[in-house]
Amino acid sequence: MHVSVDPEKCCSSGLCALSVPEVFGQDERECVVLVLTFEPPAALHDRVRAAARRCPTGTIEVRD
Amino acid sequence: MKSSPLHFPFEWPAAAGPPEALVTLREEPVVRVTLPSGDEAFLVTRYEEIRRVLSDPRVSRNRDRPGAPRMTERKTKVFQNPRIDRDPPEHTRMRRLMAKAFTATRVEGMRPHVRRVTEELLTDLLRRTPPVDLLEAFAVPLTLRVICGLLGVPPRDQGRFRGSLDEAWRYMGELIEAKREDPGDDLISALIEVHDEDDGRLSAHELHVWCVILLLAGFETTATQLGSGVVLLLTHPDQFELLRGDPALIPDAVEELLRCQIAGHSLSMLRLVTDDIEIGGVTIPKGSGLIPVLESANFDETVFPDPLRLDITRVNKQHLVFSAGPHFCMGAALARLELQVALEALMRRVPTLRLAVPPGDLRHHDSPLDLGFRELPVMW
Repeated sequence: MHVSVDPEKCCSSGLCALSVPEVFGQDERECVVLVLTFEPPAALHDRVRAAARRCPTGTIEVRD
Repeated sequence: MKSSPLHFPFEWPAAAGPPEALVTLREEPVVRVTLPSGDEAFLVTRYEEIRRVLSDPRVSRNRDRPGAPRMTERKTKVFQNPRIDRDPPEHTRMRRLMAKAFTATRVEGMRPHVRRVTEELLTDLLRRTPPVDLLEAFAVPLTLRVICGLLGVPPRDQGRFRGSLDEAWRYMGELIEAKREDPGDDLISALIEVHDEDDGRLSAHELHVWCVILLLAGFETTATQLGSGVVLLLTHPDQFELLRGDPALIPDAVEELLRCQIAGHSLSMLRLVTDDIEIGGVTIPKGSGLIPVLESANFDETVFPDPLRLDITRVNKQHLVFSAGPHFCMGAALARLELQVALEALMRRVPTLRLAVPPGDLRHHDSPLDLGFRELPVMW
């Protein structure tokens, strides 16, 4: 799995960082999403996919 | 489409369930309605199309154009103020200034404070003789103290802006001046600092408006949702018992109570269509008012099977009560935290909680922009 984001779209909801803190963080200055691990381990895949679906602005893209 | 427009918002006849109109609304993708202002608008009724509309740049939050539809006839400095209802990129600039207060880390860091306030309020509640209005005794003071702490509104002032919007406006003007002299470690002081840098990122007017909005939206909406959630649980005793027996269900239960909420409607979601768009085969002409009906999306049977059933164990939690797209509710994470902490503590400390009046006697507010119940008498 490969995770990418488009920070321009990010609305700073923080949902991803709250639900999968192992993979997503938030830049404290710009308040936009940060990817901490671009290739998350298999154990996190379901949660990463759920976070991508729940993102209010479709900022997160997941490729398998 | 039906030819004679319905009136929106729909009336909520029963505390325990949604209006009849909302049950059948999704038979048509687009429904024409008349708003309290007398202006017309189109409702978008289905989940997928609502999500799409909320991210469509041709559907604008900024209604500062001649002939744009209005929600009500009432105009105030704060609501329906076109100078602050921006679209990206101005909106993005504004939003990021304030999002700092609501980052995941900051919100999670508030959990101990929210817990402490919750326990204190419940201790006071249990000393009183029922029936007690749960909104005034618990939901409102909890959410008020949390947002006031975040903004830097001193506890002694917390009764000073509850009367009217004008009072809140005046109060906030004084507080901004006081904070300019004596800043603290709070959101208002941080925003004043941004404004005072005078690089055009935040005008004095925007500063004033946004502080009032954060204050009012920060407690009324969450208190309203807490009241709605409690009413839903008390009118669905099987779900109440299920949750009381398994507090691990609290986060899922909060999402389901938000999805099924019986407190609100989407009048304030009114948008302006800035170019012809097509929704479900219907062309919506440029200049029309458009309302993505979030409560309808949340009852969409293609996304939530058996949507009218309250089921706190539901797996699919992609409800739209906090909207979606660039205007997604900035306080969503904080609201979730407050609702989770409050419900868990309420069920633990007041396990025999019940309504003190028949559900049919609970009354919603009359004014179209005031959501939720007027009062919520409970006993235990």
